[in-house]
Amino acid sequence: MNTGKSKVIRYKGAHDLPDLAFSTGTTLAGKTSGWRNLRPVLMEKSGPCIGACPANVPIPHYITALRQGNMDEAVRIILTRNPFPSITGRVCPHYCEVGCNRKRLDEAVSIRAIERFMGDYALEKKGAPPGKETGKTVGIVGSGPAGLTAAYYLRKLGHTVVVYERSQIPGGVLREGIPAYRLPPMIVDKEIESLKRMGILFQLGVEVGNGRHPVDALMKQHNAVFFAIGAHQEQEMKIPGEDLFISGLRFLEEVAHGRREPPGERVAVIGGGNVAMDVARTLLRLGATPTILYRRTEKEMPALQEELKRAREDGIEFLFLTTPVSAEKVYNWIVLKMVKMQLGEKDKSGRPRPVPVPGSEYELHFDAVIKAVGEYPDTSIFPSEALNEKGWLIVNKNTGATPVRGLFAGGDLVDGPSTVVEAIAWGRKSAFAIDAFFRGETVAGEEKLPKTVPYKAINFDYFLQTPGHKQLEIPVAKRIHTYLQEEVGGLTFQEVLAEASRCFSCGHCNACGNCWLFCPDAAIDWTDNAPLINYDFCKGCGICAVECPRSVITLVEEVPGRAGGKDV
Amino acid sequence: MSKITGTTKVITGNHAVSYGALLSRVQVISAYPITPQTQIVEELSEFVADGVLPARFINVESEHSAMSACIGASAAGARAFTATSSQGLALMHEMLHWAAGSRLPIVLANVNRAMAPPWNIWTDQTDSLSQRDTGWLQVYCESNQEVLDSVIFSFKISEQVLLPSMLVLDAFVLSHTYEPVEIYPQQRVDEFLPPYDPKFTLRPSEEGTMGGLSAPDTYFEFRYKIQQAMEKAIALLPKEGELFGEILGRRYGLVEEFLLEDADTVLVTSGALTSTAKFAVHRLRQEKKKKVGVLKMRYFRPFPFETVRKILKGRKRVAVLDRNLSFGHGGIWSSEIKSALYPLKDRPPVYGYVLGLGGRDVTPKDILEIISDAEHRDELDMPEIIWKGVKK
Amino acid sequence: MEKTSLNHRVDTFTWKEIDELENVYPGHLACQGCGASLAMRLVLKALGSNTVMTVPACCSTLIVGTFPYHSLKVPMFHTAFETAAITAAGIKAGLSVRGYPDTTVLAWGGDGGTFDIGFAALSGAAERNEDIIYVCYDNEAYMNTGIQRSSATPWGAWTTTTPERHPEDKPKKDIVGILAAHRVPYVATATLAYPQDLTRKVKKAKDLKGFRFIHLLAPCPPGWRMESELTILSSRLAVETRIFPLYEVENGKRYTLNYAPKGRPITDYLSTQGRFKHLTPEQIHYIQQCVDENWAEVMEKHRLTHRTTEGIPASGYQ
Repeated sequence: MNTGKSKVIRYKGAHDLPDLAFSTGTTLAGKTSGWRNLRPVLMEKSGPCIGACPANVPIPHYITALRQGNMDEAVRIILTRNPFPSITGRVCPHYCEVGCNRKRLDEAVSIRAIERFMGDYALEKKGAPPGKETGKTVGIVGSGPAGLTAAYYLRKLGHTVVVYERSQIPGGVLREGIPAYRLPPMIVDKEIESLKRMGILFQLGVEVGNGRHPVDALMKQHNAVFFAIGAHQEQEMKIPGEDLFISGLRFLEEVAHGRREPPGERVAVIGGGNVAMDVARTLLRLGATPTILYRRTEKEMPALQEELKRAREDGIEFLFLTTPVSAEKVYNWIVLKMVKMQLGEKDKSGRPRPVPVPGSEYELHFDAVIKAVGEYPDTSIFPSEALNEKGWLIVNKNTGATPVRGLFAGGDLVDGPSTVVEAIAWGRKSAFAIDAFFRGETVAGEEKLPKTVPYKAINFDYFLQTPGHKQLEIPVAKRIHTYLQEEVGGLTFQEVLAEASRCFSCGHCNACGNCWLFCPDAAIDWTDNAPLINYDFCKGCGICAVECPRSVITLVEEVPGRAGGKDV
Repeated sequence: MSKITGTTKVITGNHAVSYGALLSRVQVISAYPITPQTQIVEELSEFVADGVLPARFINVESEHSAMSACIGASAAGARAFTATSSQGLALMHEMLHWAAGSRLPIVLANVNRAMAPPWNIWTDQTDSLSQRDTGWLQVYCESNQEVLDSVIFSFKISEQVLLPSMLVLDAFVLSHTYEPVEIYPQQRVDEFLPPYDPKFTLRPSEEGTMGGLSAPDTYFEFRYKIQQAMEKAIALLPKEGELFGEILGRRYGLVEEFLLEDADTVLVTSGALTSTAKFAVHRLRQEKKKKVGVLKMRYFRPFPFETVRKILKGRKRVAVLDRNLSFGHGGIWSSEIKSALYPLKDRPPVYGYVLGLGGRDVTPKDILEIISDAEHRDELDMPEIIWKGVKK
Repeated sequence: MEKTSLNHRVDTFTWKEIDELENVYPGHLACQGCGASLAMRLVLKALGSNTVMTVPACCSTLIVGTFPYHSLKVPMFHTAFETAAITAAGIKAGLSVRGYPDTTVLAWGGDGGTFDIGFAALSGAAERNEDIIYVCYDNEAYMNTGIQRSSATPWGAWTTTTPERHPEDKPKKDIVGILAAHRVPYVATATLAYPQDLTRKVKKAKDLKGFRFIHLLAPCPPGWRMESELTILSSRLAVETRIFPLYEVENGKRYTLNYAPKGRPITDYLSTQGRFKHLTPEQIHYIQQCVDENWAEVMEKHRLTHRTTEGIPASGYQ
C-alpha cells in the first residue's frame, strides 16, 4: 500500500527554496490518471467448468479457497450450489472437466476428485440447524438427490422440512439405484444424518399418492410441497414373454437392500444405458456372468463413457446390433429369440434408427434376463391440471412451479432419467423458488453467469505441463469380486492440493498477485489479499490485463471526459 | 614515527596540502595522479595507510571520477578532498559544476600547470582561472604555509556557504619547493574547524533526492542562491580570517596589502609570483624611494570588488601581472580588475601584463621593468595585453 | 548446483519471495508500460529500505521525480551521465565514514550510461571492487533522448540514428563478459518476466561485498515500437527465445545458467517489436544463428563450471 505525502509544493521565491534541488515531496502529488486511454477493470468471468456444471458450482472459487488453505471456506462455497459433494464427487459424470481450459495444455483438472475430498471432509462438519425459524413448512416427496437438495436449502432458509420416502431407507436413487461399489451407502447415510442434524424430518415408508397419503392432504399439511419422486416406470419392450424379465431398477434396489444372490448364472441385460451398466456390473460382482444386449452399436449407447469403459474393463460381454423379439421359459432357462439389427436413418434423438435384418433370427439361452431399457416418471398421482396432454408434469424449468399453487416438482420426475447433479440443480432452484413463493415473490430464473473465459484468453505462459493426479483404483481382477468395496479411491490431501494447483482459475481472481507485481506504476494496491486498482495513478498500460493468467482483468475504453480517477 | 602535528617542518607545497588535509580531518579522498600534483595524494595515501588519517582513499581511474567520488562522498555527508592539476582539472570541469550545483563543500587543491598541447608541466594559471564560472571559490596561495592554511580555511568557509573551494598553488615554484611550514597542533585546528554537519545529505532510510530536474520556474532561483552564497562568503571571509589568526596565529583577508599605504603605483599579483613582486618592490622602495606597492589577490571567486575598489581608488597607476591568458581577450586578472574599477569616477589606468606562461621564469628584473614601463605609459595607453618576455 | 525457482507461481499469492514493501511511489513520469520503472520497483523491493541510490542521466532521471517531488522512498542523488559507478563508490565511502557501513549503495544506470559513456567509471569501480551494486537497466538504446543507438542496441534494430535503410550493424556489446573479466564477485543477468529470479539475484548481490553488477533487460514500449502492454511478454520472449539468457557469473569464473528454456524461434521475440519489422528473412536467419552461437557459448561456460549441463531448471513457470 502506498502512503506518503501527496501535498503539492509551491515556492514563492529564493527565500523559501532549499539551497539545492532537494526534493521532499512525493509524486503522489501528481495524479497520472489523465494519461489513460484504457482502463483495466477487475471483471470476474466464468470458468468453462461452471457453465458446464448443471449446478453451476463455482469451481475456481472453491479451489482458490482450498489453495489458500481455507478448507472451510472452500466447503462453504461448494455448499452454496451443491449440498452433497461427497456424492457428486463419486458419481457425477463431471461435465465440468469436459470444457476445462487446461485440456489445451495437458489434461483437465480432476475436479471431481477434488470435490470428493472436500465432500468427505465436509461430511462431519455439516448439519448446523438454521439460525431462525420462519414457521413455514414444506413437504418433500422423495428422498433422492433432488428432494434432499431442496430439503437442505429450504431448511437452511429456516423452513420446517418434512421428507416423505416410500422406502424404509432414505436416499432414493443414491441408496437404491447406484451400486455400493460406486457410492458406498455409508456416505449417503452420513449425508442424511447431517440433514437430520439440521432438523429435517424424515417420514419413511410413506408412499404419497396412495390411498393413505393423498396428495391434496399433503398440500394442506404444508405451505408448499416439492415432488421429486424420480422416474421409476420402466419402458415396455412390448414383446411376448416380457413378463419373464426382471426390472433392472428393482434388481438394483433389492441388492441395495441386502440381496447378494444373482437371479441366475448366465444373465442377459437388455439395454445400453447407465442402469444397464450398473446391473451388469453388479451381476458380475454377485458371481453371475452378464451379457449386455444392445440394439445399436457401442457408439450410440446412452450410458456414460466412463461407465461403459468400466464395464468393458470388467470383461463384460456385449452383443451389439441385436434385440430380443420374444422370450419364453424353457425348463430353467429363458430363451430369447433374437434378431440382428442394422443402423438406418436417424431418428428424433439424432441417433440412427436400428432396423431388423430380415432373416437374421437366432436364439440365446439365459438363466435370467434383466431389462434396463429406460425409465419414465409416474405422474398418475398428480391432479390433471398439473399435467400436459402427454401426461407429463407442466413445470417451470426455472422454478419447479406447477400450475397447482404450492406444488413444485423437479429432478427425474420432470426430466426423465438424468444425473445426480442435475437433480441437485433442480432441488436447489426449487428450494429458492419455494422460498420466494413464501415471500410472495416469483423467481424469474437463475442468475445469468458472467462471460465464459475461452482458452485463448488464458495466458499459458504461466502454466507448466503437469500431469493430473490419478485416483487409485482396485485392480479389475479384484474389484469384479466385490460389490461393497468402493472401486475408486480418493486422492490424498497433498494430491488434492497439487491437483487444485493445476486449476487455471479461469475468470476468477485467485489473488495470484501478477497484476500487482507487474504494474510499472505501483498503481495496484494489495489489500486483504486482493488487488485494488488505484485509478488515480493507473496509466492504462494494459500489462495487468495481459499478464493476468486467467482473464480476470479486462481493458475497457476510458469514457471520454471521465478520466481523472473517477469510476466509470 | 616522528611527531606529525604541532611542529614546524620544512616541506614542499604539495606536502603542505597533504598536511592541511590531514589537519582538516578529511574523511574521503579520491584522486588520480598528475604531475605536479602527485605528491599530495602520495603523502595522503601514506597517512591513510598508516592510520594517521582515518579516511577512505579511493584511487580512481580519472580526475573526472575523482571529483565524482568526492561528490558522492560529500553528498553522503563526508568531508571530501581531492587534488589535481591542469588537464586533470579540465577533465573534472563537468563535475566542478556538479559539485557547486549540488552545494557540496568539497575542497580541491589545484597545482597550477599549463594546458597542453604542447605538453608543458610548469606553472600557469590558465587551468584554474578557466574554471571561473563553475561556482567554486578559488583561493591563490603565495607560500607553502598559506597553502596549508588555505586547506583548513577552505573547508571552514565552504561548509558554511555550501559551495566547493579550490586552492591553487604554483607548479614547482611552490609544489616542489621546500619551505618551513608550521603544522598546527590538531586540537587548535579542531577549535577553528568543527566537524562537518551537513544540512542536505543522503540519510539512509530517509526520503529525499538531490538534484532533480528543475523547471525554469525554480532553476533561476537556484542560480541566484549560489550567487547569494558567494556574497555570503565575501562577508564571511575576513571574519573567519580574523578567527584563523586568533586561533592559529595567521590572519588572512580577501587580499593582502604590501607597502600600499602611500603607493601611487600598485602591482596586482597572485600566487607565488607575489613574492617576486614583493622583493622587487621592496628593493625599489629602498633604492629608488619609489612609492610602489603590491596588492596580492587571494580570492578570485568570489571576487572582492569592494576591497579592490577601496584599495585601488585614487592610485596613479595599476599594473596587473597575469601568468595566464584568455585567448582573444587578455590577462584574466587584469580584465577582472578593470571591470571592478569601472564604477569608480577617479579610476586609475590599469596596465595588464601577460608574462611567465608555461613556467617561463619571472625575475625581480622583469618586475622592475614592468614598473618602469607602467610609469612611462600615457594614461590612455592601455592595450588589452602588454606582453612581457615574449620573443616576438 | 544451486536450485533456482523461476517464476514458480500461478498459485495463490505466489510471489512470496517478493517483498510487499514498496520503495517507489506511483505518480512518476515513466511512459505507459515502462520496463525501467518496473525494474526499479522490483529491485528496490528486493534491496529494502536501507539503500541509497544514485542515478545518472537516463530515463530514470525523470522517473524518480522532478523537483520538488520524488518517487523513491530511499534517498537518491542525481549524478552526471558517466559517473554512476564512481558516484556510488563515493557515496559508499561517505556513508561508511559517517557511520552507515551497512547501507547498500545502488548505482542505477541505463545502457548508454553503462555500456558507453559511463564505461570508464564502471570499469574502474569494478576493477577496484568498490562495494556497490550496479544495476544497468538495459532498454537497448538512448531512450530518454529519443531512441538513438547505443552499444547495447542489438544487431538489426531500428533506432533514430540507425534508420531502417541502415539498421544497427554491430552486435550488442557483451557487457556481462566484460564485467566478468574484471573478476568481480557477482555479475548476473535478469529481466522483468522472471521476478523471482530477479529478486533472488538482487538479494544475493545484496548479501555479497564488493562490486556486484546486474544486467537487467527492461523493455521500452516506445523505443521498441510496441504496445505498452507487451513489456512483460517481450521480456519473457527474450528469455524463451534465448536471445537473453538468464545466468550469473561468480568471481568472474563460475558461470551458472539459471534457466534452460526449450527455445523458441527468434521471430517470436522480434515480431513483438516494430524496431525489427524491416528485417528480411535472411537477416532474421542471421540473428537466429548469432543467438544459437551465444547460447551454445553460455552453455559451454556453464558446463566448464559445473562439469555438466544437466540439472539446469527447464521451466520458467510454475
